[in-house]
Amino acid sequence: MRTSEIFRSSVVALSLNKIRTFLTMLGVIIGVFAVVALVSVVKGFENYITDQFNSLGSNLIWVMPGMVSFEQGGGEPSFANNKLDSKHVELIERYASDIYSEISSVVRVPKTIKYKTKTYTATLTGGTERMYEILNVQLDLGRFFSKAEVDSKARVLILGSLVTEELFPTKNPIGEKVKIDGISFTVIGTAKPWGPNFDDRVFIPDTTIKSSLGVDRYTGIIVRVKDDEDMEDASRKIKLAVLRDLKEDDFTVMSQKDILSSVNSILNVLSVGLAAIAGISLFVGGIGIMNIMLVSVTERTREIGLRKALGATSKDILIQFLTESILIGFLGGALGLILAWIGTLIASSWIRAEIPWWSVLLGFGFSVVVGVVFGTYPAMSASKKDPIESLRYE
Amino acid sequence: MASLMKVINVSKIYDLGSEVITALNNVNIEIYKGEFISIIGKSGSGKSTLMHILGLLDTPTSGEIILNGQNTKGMKEKELAKIRNKEIGFVFQSFNLLQRTTTLDNVMLPLKYSDIPSYMWRKKGLDMLKMMGLENRLHNKSNELSGGQKQRVAIARALINDPSIILADEPTGNLDSKTGDEIIELFSDLHKQGRTVVIVTHNEEIADLAQRKIIIKDGEVIEQ
Ligand SMILES: Nc1ncnc2c1ncn2[C@@H]1O[C@H](COP(=O)(O)OP(=O)(O)OP(=O)(O)O)[C@@H](O)[C@H]1O
Ligand SMILES: [Mg+2]
Repeated sequence: MRTSEIFRSSVVALSLNKIRTFLTMLGVIIGVFAVVALVSVVKGFENYITDQFNSLGSNLIWVMPGMVSFEQGGGEPSFANNKLDSKHVELIERYASDIYSEISSVVRVPKTIKYKTKTYTATLTGGTERMYEILNVQLDLGRFFSKAEVDSKARVLILGSLVTEELFPTKNPIGEKVKIDGISFTVIGTAKPWGPNFDDRVFIPDTTIKSSLGVDRYTGIIVRVKDDEDMEDASRKIKLAVLRDLKEDDFTVMSQKDILSSVNSILNVLSVGLAAIAGISLFVGGIGIMNIMLVSVTERTREIGLRKALGATSKDILIQFLTESILIGFLGGALGLILAWIGTLIASSWIRAEIPWWSVLLGFGFSVVVGVVFGTYPAMSASKKDPIESLRYE
Repeated sequence: MASLMKVINVSKIYDLGSEVITALNNVNIEIYKGEFISIIGKSGSGKSTLMHILGLLDTPTSGEIILNGQNTKGMKEKELAKIRNKEIGFVFQSFNLLQRTTTLDNVMLPLKYSDIPSYMWRKKGLDMLKMMGLENRLHNKSNELSGGQKQRVAIARALINDPSIILADEPTGNLDSKTGDEIIELFSDLHKQGRTVVIVTHNEEIADLAQRKIIIKDGEVIEQ
């Protein structure tokens, strides 16, 4: 039998039982949708994180207290035994002076900010005036704090866009007084919307945080490495500088690349895990195909006998039934992909989700393979049927 | 007359373990081109078994079938399928049309397993159906046809590859006597056109219409 004819007769056979065919496909549709959509959402997270880092520039190095391991446990690093303070900024300034263009300590503490009756819990971010350059802060109104203000421990601060929105929905905040722990601070600037991780921040001189709010340990030290310096080299120099005071276990030096690759490896494990779980639903879909194909073979026993009487070989019958199950897998895969594509379009209004080509190939490939694997047994049993018994079958 | 098919010492034995059933016992028949043969016998006498063996759908336990001078013994499944497709036209008691499939598609079915190029299928199908007086039922599904019409479609399907022999196993068994007579008339016309026709029947009158009557009893040919 010709390929086009086999294909045509399979389409006809499947369309004779449209609802049944659709229900059989459903397992594959859901399976492929789940695989591709989950992968695309994880990809969206990856993009989100990469974007966040890229907006900071790629030549940043963080010195963080304690052992930071994103691979084990993940989440926020623990600061239980934080020994990082101004001494270590000075050590880097002294012993690694040739490799950096900017350096700033960072203190991050959640604090509730009050303006009249309104309150907002922001991430207070303390640093020197150079944080402006290092983090590449984009100002909306006003200005960043100056060296003089850092030195004089001035009670000034810059609000992130979310904080501004909450506390000053209609009013120009510049020059207004807000309260933290009962102490008054003057708003001197506001930042433009930047990203979820930054918009709830409030920037403040680290000296002020220390003197007015009593926070004296650093959450980290950020170093912007000179453009022509080698990042690995710079990491090593910074590490050596800090090692003059602290032990190896007391701190961690990480570059952008280190952090990104740790995060990406977590996400990869995540997406493989999710895809595997979704793959199980494809397997279940395959069992559905096998089940229905077996029913179909039994129902069409006489047809099989007739076709053989009219000149069909066992191979013709095998191919005919196999084509039907592959077609179910193929169409199910296609519909699943279309659904995943629509899902990704919808999701992309929140997160830069995208469908990587390999997941399309994987989803589609799997659905066709499922059609072949689970269609083979029914097709074999059809092809082996004895024509005479089949013709006698009631 | 030229010999078309020779059945030599054919036996068909079913060994069921607990009992051994001899469906055909040492059958010898020669069929000549253009003959109209009827096979008659009681239920269970082995008529269908013989038809299946004549149509190369079943293989005898022992003995040989010579078709057009060619011994079919030991042929591969593929070769036998090809001969069935080209040389044999089956007509069944229960029509065996594909469900919910149009008349035309049913008639064209054997062509799909042949070497005939697909552009010729439709015309051949139309010609056959016209010959059977079904030109106004081309696109009806098989379940929309009467019994007589169904059997005509089945005969058209049997004829479409221009086979050397038509094997009809009780073709009137599911029809009322008037419609049955019309179908027998049709076979008789086919014979007059020079075709070789073998009909299995219970009906003595129908059997007597044929040129030659083969009587079969308990798997043995007792008169031919
Ligand atoms: N697959 C089989 N296994 C065992 N016995 C079989 C098988 N097929 C047929 N037989 C036996 O062979 C004998 C001949 O059967 P066959 O169908 O040829 O009879 P028939 O003459 O066509 O009868 P009917 O007029 O009822 O159609 C019967 O006794 C039947 O039971
Ligand atoms: Mg019979």
